[in-house]
Amino acid sequence: MHLDPFELHRPTSVDEVVGLARDLAGRFDYLAGGTDLLPNYKMHLNLRPHLIALEGVRELRGRSLERIGAMERLADVEAESALLAAYPPLGDAVREIATPLVRASGTVGGNLLVETRCFFFNQSQFWRQSLGFCLKADGDRCHVVPQKQKCYATFSGDLAPALMAVDAEVEVAGADGRRRLPLEALYDPEGDGIRRLRLRPGELLTAVHLPAATRGDPGAYLKLRVRPSYDFPELGVAASGALDGGRVRRLTIAVGGAEMRPVRHDSLTAALVGERLSDDRIRALADAVERATRPVHNTFLLPDYRRRMVSVFVRRAVERLREGTAG
Amino acid sequence: MPSPPPVRFRLNGQPTEVAVEPARVLLDLLRDDLRLTGTKRGCDLGTCGCCTVLVDGRPSLSCLTLARLVDGREVTTIEGVSPPQGLSPLQRAFVEVGATQCGFCTPGFVVTATAFLRDHPHPSREEIVRAISGNLCRCTGYLKIIEAIERAAAGGA
Ligand SMILES: Cc1cc2nc3c(=O)[nH]c(=O)nc-3n(C[C@H](O)[C@H](O)[C@H](O)COP(=O)(O)OP(=O)(O)OC[C@H]3O[C@@H](n4cnc5c(N)ncnc54)[C@H](O)[C@@H]3O)c2cc1C
Ligand code: SF4
Ligand code: FES
Ligand code: FES
Repeated sequence: MHLDPFELHRPTSVDEVVGLARDLAGRFDYLAGGTDLLPNYKMHLNLRPHLIALEGVRELRGRSLERIGAMERLADVEAESALLAAYPPLGDAVREIATPLVRASGTVGGNLLVETRCFFFNQSQFWRQSLGFCLKADGDRCHVVPQKQKCYATFSGDLAPALMAVDAEVEVAGADGRRRLPLEALYDPEGDGIRRLRLRPGELLTAVHLPAATRGDPGAYLKLRVRPSYDFPELGVAASGALDGGRVRRLTIAVGGAEMRPVRHDSLTAALVGERLSDDRIRALADAVERATRPVHNTFLLPDYRRRMVSVFVRRAVERLREGTAG
Repeated sequence: MPSPPPVRFRLNGQPTEVAVEPARVLLDLLRDDLRLTGTKRGCDLGTCGCCTVLVDGRPSLSCLTLARLVDGREVTTIEGVSPPQGLSPLQRAFVEVGATQCGFCTPGFVVTATAFLRDHPHPSREEIVRAISGNLCRCTGYLKIIEAIERAAAGGA
């Protein structure tokens, strides 16, 4: 498979990146590990004439219990046992992303911003042309929900739900300077499978910040996939929380791999604060999250199965959290 | 069009300088320009591990690595994992155990496992299985490959 020609830029500082992004407005993509972008480019999906490679920007590196640079490789994060133990959903998620070879190059930033996926999108140009292009690349209709002018491509990154559940924040840099926002605010609830982020034009992700408040809290990330050594999530559920004397002090649930963005279900978990985590309450919460999740038929497994697995995974994840507290 | 600036890197220990377009991946540079065809093109999309090489000692999928980005680095391919004479202990174990059938996946497994054994000289079977889970083999069923890696680890102890 060949790549169409592009110009490659190799800045070494965030300021230089921001300057390039301003000059190339709208005509470039950032390149991190390339494990998502380059397969898409090989399939001729939404090519841009410039790539800005981030690998030479030192500031985007570094891992500690407080901060993970956007350009940190997943394999290096996976080797940080203290970090993974401090944030159990992160540990569960990072070990299950793709394969060890993909994790050797794939980065944290690239994972949070991974392109949304759809059976009708992640195909060769020939395949897509044969059927007729779709809204997300080169076309004007959606094959999944043809009655709507909207793209339902699925957000299939594993780190986002896991990091959202532990209240992570992200730092971004752009022409207007730097800002920090809760990770969930990165994903646009008004958006769709195409316009999915709340980044301003040209903004890049510089780091993930991990709060001290949730450090050491029990939790889990559970992933549904077809081949356990390799596949993207068909569903990913993260839970994180803390109990005081058996009563819920904090509880978060985040669901990825099911809709156009990863979603945190704070309105559903809020009712449990101050309560005991009884089996009945866990089951009621699990059912409520399932009702709030609506996958469509654009991945390998059937949406009804994926939806029903939501309550199973929420229940298991919260039970693990409860056991983690007891033990 | 002016020819693109050269990249300079060490390839299996040899200083190498070669002009390469930005939109070219390392796999194509190795196989098509430099004629090092030991590195295999399987899926070309990051899923099979056949194209694995080491960049600064780290396993990298050469089908998803832009050739220009190895500038200044050390690249080791399957052609570079053997000692000057003969085979590496891991390669010998592959031969002795019979861990190869059609052989198409073998370079990828050997390169992946070479880096793995360097970092984990005494792995458990489970760790081996995990380490090679990004390499696909359509022939062997993996058991012989796992055995070969175990044998090399035991021999190297
Ligand atoms: C075989 C295979 C299996 C996979 N399985 C999984 C899986 O199970 N789970 C999963 O989550 N992913 C999976 N992936 C996708 C991908 O490998 C990972 O999501 C990886 O973490 C992406 O990181 P990257 O650095 O390679 O991103 P890139 O491909 O470099 O970039 C991804 C996107 O993010 C943008 N970007 C990257 N960094 C920044 C930044 N700092 N600022 C602004 N924009 C940025 C890029 O422009 C691009 O649009 C798989 C990929 C392959 C090939
Ligand atoms: S959901 Fe519809 S528009 Fe979006 S990628 Fe799939 S087919 Fe295309
Ligand atoms: S050819 Fe690179 S992973 Fe298959
Ligand atoms: S020996 Fe044929 S693919 Fe592995």
